[in-house]
Amino acid sequence: MKILIVDDSSTMRRIIGNVVQQLGHTKEDFDEAEDGLKAWKLLSERQYDVILTDWNMPNMNGLDLVKKVRSEGAHQKTPIIMITTEGGKGEVITALKAGVNNYIVKPFSADVLKEKLDGVLKK
Amino acid sequence: MSMSQEEIEALMNGLDAEDSSADEPMEEATPEAQEESENSQEVMSEDDIAALIAQTQVANDTNEEKTVEDDVADEQAPVEEDTASVGQDDIDALLNGIDVSAEDVVEPTPVQEETSSKNSVHHEIDAEAIARDWTDKRIQEGVFPMPVEKNTKVVEQLSQVASDSEEKATRIFDVLSYIMDENLVVQKNSKDLEEFVTSQINLLNTLSQKFPNIDVFKVQLEKAQAMQGKGSEIAAKVDSENMQLFEAMELMQFHDINRQKIERVMSVIRKLNDYLNGIFEDDNSYKDVAVAKHIHGDSNSELVGDDDLDALIAEFGS
Repeated sequence: MKILIVDDSSTMRRIIGNVVQQLGHTKEDFDEAEDGLKAWKLLSERQYDVILTDWNMPNMNGLDLVKKVRSEGAHQKTPIIMITTEGGKGEVITALKAGVNNYIVKPFSADVLKEKLDGVLKK
Repeated sequence: MSMSQEEIEALMNGLDAEDSSADEPMEEATPEAQEESENSQEVMSEDDIAALIAQTQVANDTNEEKTVEDDVADEQAPVEEDTASVGQDDIDALLNGIDVSAEDVVEPTPVQEETSSKNSVHHEIDAEAIARDWTDKRIQEGVFPMPVEKNTKVVEQLSQVASDSEEKATRIFDVLSYIMDENLVVQKNSKDLEEFVTSQINLLNTLSQKFPNIDVFKVQLEKAQAMQGKGSEIAAKVDSENMQLFEAMELMQFHDINRQKIERVMSVIRKLNDYLNGIFEDDNSYKDVAVAKHIHGDSNSELVGDDDLDALIAEFGS
């Protein structure tokens, strides 16, 4: 299974990558991108099974990335989980309307990510 | 950096020498002393300080000798002229003597002016130093804001904090990852060790059963049985350590959250800056106009009333 982790914070990318490894995946199972533009480039180059993206990022933010992924390219049906500090109800609704499958507010525990990841992958 | 006692004493000696030279404004070595005091503000080695002290002492001695010689010469000259004038009966000669003595009286005037100009420069420097010290003290007390420099600009500093902490967090993560990788090796080795101990127990068990009279098999079997389970204990401890490391890694999410809080503050400051600039900015096409010093309504004793004005006009008119 291939996972794409998108976050402008290198620390967050590593934390998420670590949790993914705890869930039994290897380092080769996931790629990292530091903004929406680089993520879109990776998405156009290869196929991913799930996308974990932050919201607030430079160049192209997570919400724009989700909208782009849902509207064009080969990942229109790929599950997307947004992992962000944006914890407002309005933001969650906005993200869900844009097409995310699940939403995690930082800080999160490994169990929460595991649960949500399992949830989107089962569907 | 901390200084040694010798360095402090050497520095104090240097300061004393400078103080003594500063107390003698008439001496021509004053510029040198100023140079030395400027140099003394730089970081100097112990040898430099010793050399500086030696130079200062030599300069002071030379100046003192010069001053004494000059004083003697100044004192001797009029005495000789006075003696000459006393020795002559001729009135013209006396008058010449008076002229000479008058010139002597006039001559010291430029020296006094020079001295007073030196003193005024010295006072100006003192005033600047006092003003600078006072301002620095006020800044340290927090009465005055820090000067606008790269290190005191709020947004720039916050940006630096965010990027620096990101860099350090990455390093911390590297350390944690290294420990976890090493723990994996320890866990694997302890598992191998456990398997080896189990195989040894089996072997020694067989040997002790086949050769019950050989004590060494029994002893080694007991030792191997005592070691059994140690490898599993190590693996379990490393596993619980790994859990703590995972927890620490999870807590590092707060670095990202705090960074975003800082970025939010930076955004507010930038918007406030734009807003205030928008309020206060102009097109820079104005020219400086003469500004009135005293305007009606000012609480100033220099303001002239109608009666005073009439009186002044009348006075000057008359």
